[in-house]
Amino acid sequence: MSAVAWNPVGPQVLEADGIRVAFGQRQVLANIYLQVKTGQIVGLLGRNGSGKSVLLQTIFGARSVADASVRVNGHRMVPAFHQRGLLNYLPQVPLLPPALPLRQAARMLGVNLDEATASFPALRAQFDYRSGELSGGSARLLQTLLLLHANTAFSLFDEPFSGVMPVHIETLAEEMQRLKQRKGLLITDHRYAEVLPLCNVVYLLHQGRLLKLEGDVREQLRDYGYLAH
Amino acid sequence: MTLLATQIRAVLLFYRTVAPFMLGVSALILLAVLLPAMHEGWGGGLLPGLLLTKLATAPVVWYLSEQLRPDQYWFYFNLGVSRRRLWGSVVLLDALVFLGGAVALRASLA
Repeated sequence: MSAVAWNPVGPQVLEADGIRVAFGQRQVLANIYLQVKTGQIVGLLGRNGSGKSVLLQTIFGARSVADASVRVNGHRMVPAFHQRGLLNYLPQVPLLPPALPLRQAARMLGVNLDEATASFPALRAQFDYRSGELSGGSARLLQTLLLLHANTAFSLFDEPFSGVMPVHIETLAEEMQRLKQRKGLLITDHRYAEVLPLCNVVYLLHQGRLLKLEGDVREQLRDYGYLAH
Repeated sequence: MTLLATQIRAVLLFYRTVAPFMLGVSALILLAVLLPAMHEGWGGGLLPGLLLTKLATAPVVWYLSEQLRPDQYWFYFNLGVSRRRLWGSVVLLDALVFLGGAVALRASLA
């Protein structure tokens, strides 16, 4: 881990580059460069198997990749998850151990559960449940909210809307817009109709390359075969 | 919750997930080997060897855990606790529990 003191005050810039990942002969990620700033929501789109989750896990530090560089304000932070308060990561799979009571999970993550779910009063009835006792959609929403409200400069979300019902997706999107004032969000999700309006910057992972989309994003997504119409 | 308290809680939480197997191995070694040896009066010098045997089973537990629950680490990573720290702490804790069990067994027969 970097010995350089990380200053969590003021705007933060998370940069990742030099990320090259291959599975056998297949090059999944090739020389990626990506930037997320606090105050931004960055969307990461790509076809199934394009390496979106691998990229998020590499930035988070859970996946060791030779030559990968993750920097915050120019200071190297590898593995990034060791740096307290820097970033958190919502994986595609359930985040919380099934036997862990929600209240305890929130305490360990340093999150006030009442505040985190203030916009979702229906969730309050489930505060005394264990993670494994929740429905898939409720568990997903609660996990996303816990990480969104945790005191980190960045949050990396891998399919946060998956399984969440539409009315909650809208509220969750508003919550993300509100909280981006104090943190940077990197989101990947196939629900592009919900993701695109949220994003300040959109990247597309295409054939191992990360393309920053500017201008008419939908048209470019069609051109690269991510959207049909 | 302070950083240290959170990390201790994380290790205890993780230990609970592997405890059934690890404690089962401890109970097997203590009850099937140490207890009969102590009854026969030659269990005194056996403990270091049994502890090494016990520690040697840790890689098996680690391997099974990796195979059966490969996605179990995400919560701990989000608390800033690495795989290495989790397993190191759990093996240490389990060794202490094993030694505590051996001491208790000895005391009960004294």
